[in-house]
Amino acid sequence: MGIDLVGMEDVWILPAIPFAVFILVSFFGRLIPRNGDFIAVLGMALVVLLVGLVLVDFQGAFHDEVFAPIAGANTYSFDWIDIGDGFFVIEFSTYVDAVTMVMLPVVSFVSLMVLVYSIGYMKGEARYGWYFAALSFFVAAMLLLVISGNLLQLYLAWEGVGLASYLLIGFYWERQSAAEAAKKAFITTRIGDVGLLIGIILLWRVTGTFDIQEIIHAAEEGVFGQTYLTVAMLFLFAGAAGKSAQFPFHVWLPDAMEGPTPVSALIHAATMVVAGVYLVARMLPVYDEVLIARDVVLYVGLITALMAATMGLVATDIKRVLAFSTVSQLGFMFAALGVGALTAAMFHLFTHAFFKSLLFLGSGSVIHATEQQEVGELGGLRKKMPITALTFTIGSLALAGIPVFAGFWSKDEILHDLQHYGPFAAYVILAVTAALTAIYTTRLVLLTFFGKPKNEQAYEHAHESPPIMTGPLVILAVLALVVGFITYQGVGESLGFVGGIGELVYLPHHGPHVFKLDIAFAAVATATAVVGVAIGIMYWWGDARRAIAAQSWAPELHQLLVRRYYLDELYQGVINHVVLGAAAVVAWFDKRVVNETGVDGSTQFVGFLGYRFKFLQTGRIPHYVLGMALGVAALAVVAIGTT
Amino acid sequence: MTDLLGNDLNLQYELLGPEIALVITAALVLFADAFRRELKIGQSAIPAISILGLVVALLLSLLWIDENKDFARLVTIDNFTTFFRVLFIAVTVVVIIGSHEYIERRVSHLGEFYSLLLLSTVGAMLMAGARDLLTAYLAIEVMSFSLYILVSLAKSDTRSGEASLKYVLLGGVASAMLLYGLSFLYGVGGSTQYTEIAAALSDGTSTLELPLLLGLALIIAGLGFKASAVPFHMWTPDAYEGAPIPITAYLSATSKAATFALLLRWFAGPLLPAIDSWQWMISVLAVLTMVIGNLVALQQSNIKRLLAYSSIGQVGFMLMAIVTISDQTGSALLLHLSGYIITNLAVFMGVIAFYNRTGREEIVAFRGLAQTNPYLALVITAGLFSLAGMPLLAGFLTKFILFQSVVSGGYTWLVVTALLASTVSLYYYLQVIRQMYMYQPEGDASRWRLSPTGYLATGAMLVGVVWVGVYAAPFYTAADRAIAPLFT
Repeated sequence: MGIDLVGMEDVWILPAIPFAVFILVSFFGRLIPRNGDFIAVLGMALVVLLVGLVLVDFQGAFHDEVFAPIAGANTYSFDWIDIGDGFFVIEFSTYVDAVTMVMLPVVSFVSLMVLVYSIGYMKGEARYGWYFAALSFFVAAMLLLVISGNLLQLYLAWEGVGLASYLLIGFYWERQSAAEAAKKAFITTRIGDVGLLIGIILLWRVTGTFDIQEIIHAAEEGVFGQTYLTVAMLFLFAGAAGKSAQFPFHVWLPDAMEGPTPVSALIHAATMVVAGVYLVARMLPVYDEVLIARDVVLYVGLITALMAATMGLVATDIKRVLAFSTVSQLGFMFAALGVGALTAAMFHLFTHAFFKSLLFLGSGSVIHATEQQEVGELGGLRKKMPITALTFTIGSLALAGIPVFAGFWSKDEILHDLQHYGPFAAYVILAVTAALTAIYTTRLVLLTFFGKPKNEQAYEHAHESPPIMTGPLVILAVLALVVGFITYQGVGESLGFVGGIGELVYLPHHGPHVFKLDIAFAAVATATAVVGVAIGIMYWWGDARRAIAAQSWAPELHQLLVRRYYLDELYQGVINHVVLGAAAVVAWFDKRVVNETGVDGSTQFVGFLGYRFKFLQTGRIPHYVLGMALGVAALAVVAIGTT
Repeated sequence: MTDLLGNDLNLQYELLGPEIALVITAALVLFADAFRRELKIGQSAIPAISILGLVVALLLSLLWIDENKDFARLVTIDNFTTFFRVLFIAVTVVVIIGSHEYIERRVSHLGEFYSLLLLSTVGAMLMAGARDLLTAYLAIEVMSFSLYILVSLAKSDTRSGEASLKYVLLGGVASAMLLYGLSFLYGVGGSTQYTEIAAALSDGTSTLELPLLLGLALIIAGLGFKASAVPFHMWTPDAYEGAPIPITAYLSATSKAATFALLLRWFAGPLLPAIDSWQWMISVLAVLTMVIGNLVALQQSNIKRLLAYSSIGQVGFMLMAIVTISDQTGSALLLHLSGYIITNLAVFMGVIAFYNRTGREEIVAFRGLAQTNPYLALVITAGLFSLAGMPLLAGFLTKFILFQSVVSGGYTWLVVTALLASTVSLYYYLQVIRQMYMYQPEGDASRWRLSPTGYLATGAMLVGVVWVGVYAAPFYTAADRAIAPLFT
């Protein structure tokens, strides 16, 4: 191998770089010119470069067949805590396989794009340096998450990205709604995280290890009882569903749009929210052992995909439409995992990261230009912002699943696998969702960039964003056009891999598969997407007369979707009555019994003892000597007396 | 060469390289200070020479890693000795770097100060290495006599002289007890060599049970004094309060650790066969020490006295490891000692920097430090939290491992007591933290900075506290290797 500087055994260095940046910028940012934003960008560029080197090393190992896909080895580990000579050992371990190699480029590259974009978007903001520090912290935690070889370390990183997400959603904490949204996101995902922790402990209890590969091996050997493992994997999935905003935890993601838009692009579209998908993909061999748990993944994915798509149809905030779309697309990935289609899920994760971050950054460009984010205030912007409009349209076509754009290939793969391995109803649901996706995407593009400007003042004010923002848009747009082709064997080979993504990312007992375009199937999928686009154009072209008419045709239905199936109200009601009621009882007990009797009482007692003993310290030498003499005498007398 | 009894003696003087280097440095320091005008050197040359000598001594100590030799049947050079040599040298370096500013302004007799500091380090190192009762006793006295004087060197502070006098008189009593106890032990064992005493005691043929018990009681009293175990602790708060703060820091680190080195050598060596006779004595002392130390700490208003009582409480925890002595508890104790010393130095270096600026040592004087110097407040807070045993800091992990090893040694009730005492300690540590963060500064509220060396010493200790707390594996390995020669 030509470049052996950084190989798969050195991946620990990837999170270390942004973490160092975080320390540097958060503590010394004020002393550095530009608050250290360029350090964050350069550090991230270095990470991208190193990921490239790791990728080269990975290709070499793959060619030399020292490295079977999926069932690789822990490439690097050392004892982090070792108590009592192996009594209790926690390792720091990193693990690299094809799934990791899908995640690393996504996380590092999208992060770089978002950081560059942010230089323009966040210009002049208060706490500019802190923004870059927090974002670097997020990237460090996210990279640690995807290279973790054991579940405990993964959990640590998992909480790290949660914390970063909380801090960045609440970046404008002076705004009540932002503070509330940050809290909602944190608490909702925390509920799932408790499940994840329980799941990890359940797995550890039987195997005595946190190592992911050992746990997978133990599950395949049949070490677990079937019911026990099902329960454990369902708890684990609760964590995944919380992080990836799946039903019933999806409520936090639309509100998370209170954060700065580049944050939404990175954390709430491309990276953190796919951590749940990554976790289930990582543990998929175990889910294959307990099909009940795997079916739950499928159904949750289906429900979420459909539900979120319908809510996306009526949302009026440009970012919220994209948020619902993200929830829905994550549902697609979980549905694929629910039928064991690892390749399709990871492929869609890969393409989705690029086009969805493109869409978010595009919406950020619009917001930056107009300071409006309600589609009711936008319109006609294509003339004012040609680059943004063009790139946003490309991203939308990818999302809608129009052929040759990236989203088409991966979505087609998911639908294909669902038709083959899943129940027929599941296929139908996802196909309908795909059509809905095309509809709401078309609607969003038309309302924002076409038609007549609805708010003349905002329109007059609008201008194209500076090159530092449009640059990343163009790059991501190009990728949204082409990344789908890595499904082809020839494309993969020309990039130095053994073949397309299906020959890299697969479950051992399924084996690799070479992609072949099923023309008939693809035609149906394309037709679905085109019909969706056509419906969208039909209803929202021009002054959207048909859409307004449709609204008044069934106002209750419209209201149901706008109010998001009343789930937020339901949760709030449960919290107000059940949780707070129970809390009041506990609070009374805590105040009267625990605090006033237990804590205060014992404190006064201990303080009194200390006060009495204080007077033994007289400051006089004879007293001290007497004390010592009595001490010796007591020891000697008791010693002799007891023998 | 052979001695009078015909034993072959190994006279490789290079084995004592570190000690010799420090003694030469001490002489150089005295000389340089006396002829400072003639030599045209500044005040700061004195600490610089001392540090240079310490670095040389450190390098010489590292030569003997994984060796196991003895010098003239008097001193053992093994990993245990090397561990403590490195530890003591490091403590002295940190104390000098962190406090040379304080010393220049508030200590009389600069040359004597540094040379005595170096000599007491030599004493401490020999305490860890001794393999003969008399060598050990002399080493104790070398360390103690240096400290008696050092305590008295605070310029224009009347408490300093009083503290020194108390320390010297009570130290004399303790020495007498210890020496008396050693003479009993010599009578029972028939030798001053650790190995031969151990052999004699484990024979079981000795009928001299009464003198052995008397000897044990006296030895424990004498060492209890050095370690400040209740009821032999009463000198501690007065000496800590009166001494110059760097010496207080030094007392709480080196003097304490050297005593524990000696305790480990004795109770894992010559006295191990008599474990049934002394185990309960030490456990009683441990309980008394942790309870009284932590309770009285609640009532203190001076930071030095508070830290004195807190260090007494900590000694109680460490004594538990002697009760259940084994290679496991021994290595846990070494780990805890290192963590405790780093933590304690972090707090003391912070307090010294604070005193340099304000000249005050009452706890209420720390009000609002978080506003006037957030960095210093962070260092002191991290140190205090570590002393209280908060996770992610040195104190948690090392205490956890110590307690766990005592439990597996079969003394769960001791650990339960220790946990309760530990909870009490959180209260008075938090009192200090509360003053720093919850109150407005009194008087001058402008921000201020530390001197560069102040930043260096506090920064290094802060990093150490976090490092040991997060990734203790290298320290644990070092402790494991250091304790091994005692149990082979």
